[in-house]
Amino acid sequence: MRRLIALTCASALVLAACGTKGGGSDESGEGAGGVTTGVGVTDSEITLGVMTDQTGPFKNLSTGITHGNELWVEDVNAAGGVCDRQVKLEIVDHGYKADTAKTLYPQMEPKVLGFVQLVGSPIMAALGGDLEADEMTTTPASWSSELLGNPYVMIVGTTYDVEMIDGLSYLQEEGMISDGDTVGHIYIDGEYGANGLRGARYYAEQHDLKLREVKITSSDNDLTNIVTGLKGQGVKAILLTTTPTQTGSAAAANKALGLNVPILGNNPTFDPLLHDSPAAGALDQLYVVASSVPFSADIPKAQEVAQKYKDANFTAPPNAGVPYGYAVAEVWGTVLEKACENGDLTRAGVHQALEETTSAETGDLVAALDFSQPGAPATREVYVAQPDASVEGGMKYVKQLFEAEDAKNYKAPHEGQ
Amino acid sequence: METFVQLLVNGLGKGAVFALLALGFVVIFKATEVVNFAHGSLVLFGGYLVVVTRETLGWAGAAVVGIVSAGVLALLVERLLLSRSKLADPFSLALLTIGVDVIVTEEIVRRLGVSLPFIGDAWDAQPLQVGGVTMFRTHLVALLVATVLITAFFLAFRYSNWGVAMRAQAENKEAAALVGIRSSRVTSTAWLVAGVLAGVAVLFIATQDFSGAGLSRGTHSIALAAFPAAIIGGLDSTAGAIVGGITVGLVDALSTHYISFAFAKSAVFLVMLVVLVVRPSGLFGTRESIRV
Amino acid sequence: MSEIATESPPTAPESPPSPVRRRGPMWWVRGALWLALLVLLLVLPLYLEAQWLRAGQYMMVGAVGAIGLTLLTGQAGQLSLAHAFFLLAGGTSYTVLSGSTEGGTLVGFGLDPLLSLVGAVVITALLGLAFAPVAGRLRGIYLGVASLALVFLGLYFGQAAETLTGGTSTGRSPTPFSLFGFEFSNEGDLEILNVPFRQAERLWYLFLALTAIAFLLARGAVRSRVGRSWRAVRDNEPAAAVMGVSVPRAKAGAFAVSSAYAGLAGVMTVLWFDILKPDESEFGTYGINVSIAFLAMVIIGGLGSVPGALVGALVVNGLPQVLALYSTDLGWFTGTGEGTFTPVLISSFVYGAAIILVVLFEPGGLAAIGRRIAGRLSFTQRGKE
Repeated sequence: MRRLIALTCASALVLAACGTKGGGSDESGEGAGGVTTGVGVTDSEITLGVMTDQTGPFKNLSTGITHGNELWVEDVNAAGGVCDRQVKLEIVDHGYKADTAKTLYPQMEPKVLGFVQLVGSPIMAALGGDLEADEMTTTPASWSSELLGNPYVMIVGTTYDVEMIDGLSYLQEEGMISDGDTVGHIYIDGEYGANGLRGARYYAEQHDLKLREVKITSSDNDLTNIVTGLKGQGVKAILLTTTPTQTGSAAAANKALGLNVPILGNNPTFDPLLHDSPAAGALDQLYVVASSVPFSADIPKAQEVAQKYKDANFTAPPNAGVPYGYAVAEVWGTVLEKACENGDLTRAGVHQALEETTSAETGDLVAALDFSQPGAPATREVYVAQPDASVEGGMKYVKQLFEAEDAKNYKAPHEGQ
Repeated sequence: METFVQLLVNGLGKGAVFALLALGFVVIFKATEVVNFAHGSLVLFGGYLVVVTRETLGWAGAAVVGIVSAGVLALLVERLLLSRSKLADPFSLALLTIGVDVIVTEEIVRRLGVSLPFIGDAWDAQPLQVGGVTMFRTHLVALLVATVLITAFFLAFRYSNWGVAMRAQAENKEAAALVGIRSSRVTSTAWLVAGVLAGVAVLFIATQDFSGAGLSRGTHSIALAAFPAAIIGGLDSTAGAIVGGITVGLVDALSTHYISFAFAKSAVFLVMLVVLVVRPSGLFGTRESIRV
Repeated sequence: MSEIATESPPTAPESPPSPVRRRGPMWWVRGALWLALLVLLLVLPLYLEAQWLRAGQYMMVGAVGAIGLTLLTGQAGQLSLAHAFFLLAGGTSYTVLSGSTEGGTLVGFGLDPLLSLVGAVVITALLGLAFAPVAGRLRGIYLGVASLALVFLGLYFGQAAETLTGGTSTGRSPTPFSLFGFEFSNEGDLEILNVPFRQAERLWYLFLALTAIAFLLARGAVRSRVGRSWRAVRDNEPAAAVMGVSVPRAKAGAFAVSSAYAGLAGVMTVLWFDILKPDESEFGTYGINVSIAFLAMVIIGGLGSVPGALVGALVVNGLPQVLALYSTDLGWFTGTGEGTFTPVLISSFVYGAAIILVVLFEPGGLAAIGRRIAGRLSFTQRGKE
């Protein structure tokens, strides 16, 4: 026993002798090619972070996005990299749990320049302050305009509120709803749902719609009783800001109960796996609005990415996350190139470059983006797509990129602040 | 009115499945006084085997495999773990089942990966319209199967040797042992039966009609709602399991619409709490006498 | 820790605990060990990187909660799965008491953080007391399942009471803790021995102090009259009543104390996350999984043992954190796609297995193993003298 104490004392002494962790070095410095570099950038490498969900409720979409990111990294490195540096991804799984993410973050932070992917509104809510403090430019895989209050957030594509407004005008244009109708909105309690609802409320106000709001959580999957209730209230359309599984349930109940009204869903509501579910026969009334294209959209760039995905032999079935993930990474490429031209590859330099990016081109994978207006969505254009089991990725367009009048006039929560 | 009738129908159909699950709790509790927290993982396990064998065996064959394997897993848990810890009281054994539950559930959720397979092929998403009311085929079959199984169980419980032995053991363990009832056989059979019931239930749960989702962590959460079902009826009452199951189904359906969807999940537990305060052993449970 | 014997089955006559402490050589050794541990914990922030400190803080959050649960479940014999609810209640109370009224959408009282912390603990204790009449009517597993109802009520409350919790959408930022003007955040420059003391370092000491207080109070309670009455009620209610213990009061007291601990752990949770965010489903920061994790801590540590609860927290809350930290360093579990083994998954396996092993082979948990080792050591010690 005495020996143990002696050992403890000795080790304590050794610890003290080792010196403390203090006295960190100044990280910024002149790197290769006359470019100022900082955290996450060496003379040969640029490291970007990916905090994703491989085990939680959004693992399908997240995995698609991650694979899209990876495909771009392969391409860009094959072409010589960015700013003469190879791009590397640092990928971690938080399982959609804010606590895990909160611990992983301080460990990721000293290694990466920014986050090319950060999944989930709960994680964004937990890390938002840290990202801002560390000047970490981040692309959340969460399209809520509430996030735009943080200047370091770069949302590739439009936001949920704008999607809803565009989508509703599409329904009205096609004569599926008219002013004064009753419309149901089922939304997930969370930043995702709340933001979709914000758009629906705005549109309802403009067009005198009676909105029946139903709040659910991401784990409630049986919406039969809700749709039963909405039927009783005589809704003319159902809006969804939900998970794909919930979309399946709402669509199935819509059909089973003989309600048969059009269903309008935000971008993440659809997953091609729905075509293999019992709800497959009930998807004909579903319209999905998104600012990024479906997996096998008939545009050259999307086809190219789809082919690469097949060649890469990923095991997961493809979804719209893949072209989106590719597009996001490509936007990052544009921003990094700009930072490189400016001779500043530090975090501050990247942020500066982001704000100077008035047009990021992704070969139409995503509508053209303008990041120069703080607080405003980078685009207000969307596609409307419908499920179609016969095409790869399970979705086909019914309307090409457009921006509704109401969307143009809509003011996002942090716009102009 | 139409909405109300439709909600009643939805609730009844679900209630039948909750009754099957609750019966599983009750059987085990009656035989051993152990509350089986691993019931949800038995449900998942049965469903998972349906998923992996469906390709080769076809749905019907896979369903049988699933049901049997859920029973076998339950049996193994009892034989390999619970029966080994003779010293442990029912309370500790209940805790042990939590450990089993965590492991089995996490592993199956991992194996399922990104897929959320539906496994009610034979009846899922084929609703029938009767008047203005929609009958979900999954619910109808579940009601039928639950009625048959529960009747069979009651008969077995009343007339078979196992049933008599089990009732004797539930009454008085020492006396039962004295008259030559082999406690281990009664206990094992109880676990087997509970596992089989879980294996049957999952065929209705992982469907579009019932849960709106395929086999996943959510399936496990649904099995959790069978807790209030079993408790409301009384953990040691087989008849109570049925009443409890139906109650849970109806409370869930009605409160979703008439109160709020967010409240529905709590409503079931709230009803349970009220029942417990009024009757601490559930509606039909035997009042526990304080053992001195 | 040897007098906190817990796992004697009700039939075995419990030997009366001997609170008379002999200050033999073991006492000094034990004291020296505790002191060494304390010194080590005090200097750690000088050496460990921030993420390790955060992992350590998370273990302390678990420790405080687990101590509370081990008092209730181990000492007083009442199974509770409601711990996560009281965590949420504590976290919310602190945030509301100390918070400001932002834009009229949130309720806040703007009280001093220390006062708010105390207030949160008091409020959760009262909530626990409010549940006591229900708890008093139920026994064993019935109580466990009944207490589960509170977690679901908490889930609903978190979603519905948006003016208090901020809603599950954005949650709500808590006011950073401060003591006499010193803020436990990144505010201001503070350097000790060349080490910049930022939020992670400062919170470490706050959490350490809170854990130490929680620990000492719990040990005090266990050794006092209160602890004896809890154990008497646990082992045999009628007998306890005969001995003059008020059974309802002992039970209610245990529930209140345990809830207060959970409330404190809730405040720590909110400070640790730097956000109060109610859950969207029953699996989350304040969900059933958390209640079960706390139960796992006290089972692994040994029901009723206060030091055991610390070790249990180390295992259950520490493992996922440490694995996650190591895995990225070593490149483990970094695969993407289907069927990946993640740190979260591995640690679930470990604590699931630990529960089974404890119940099967060592119902007294790690505390019993510790006691046995200590017993053997002290035996050899005495043998030498």
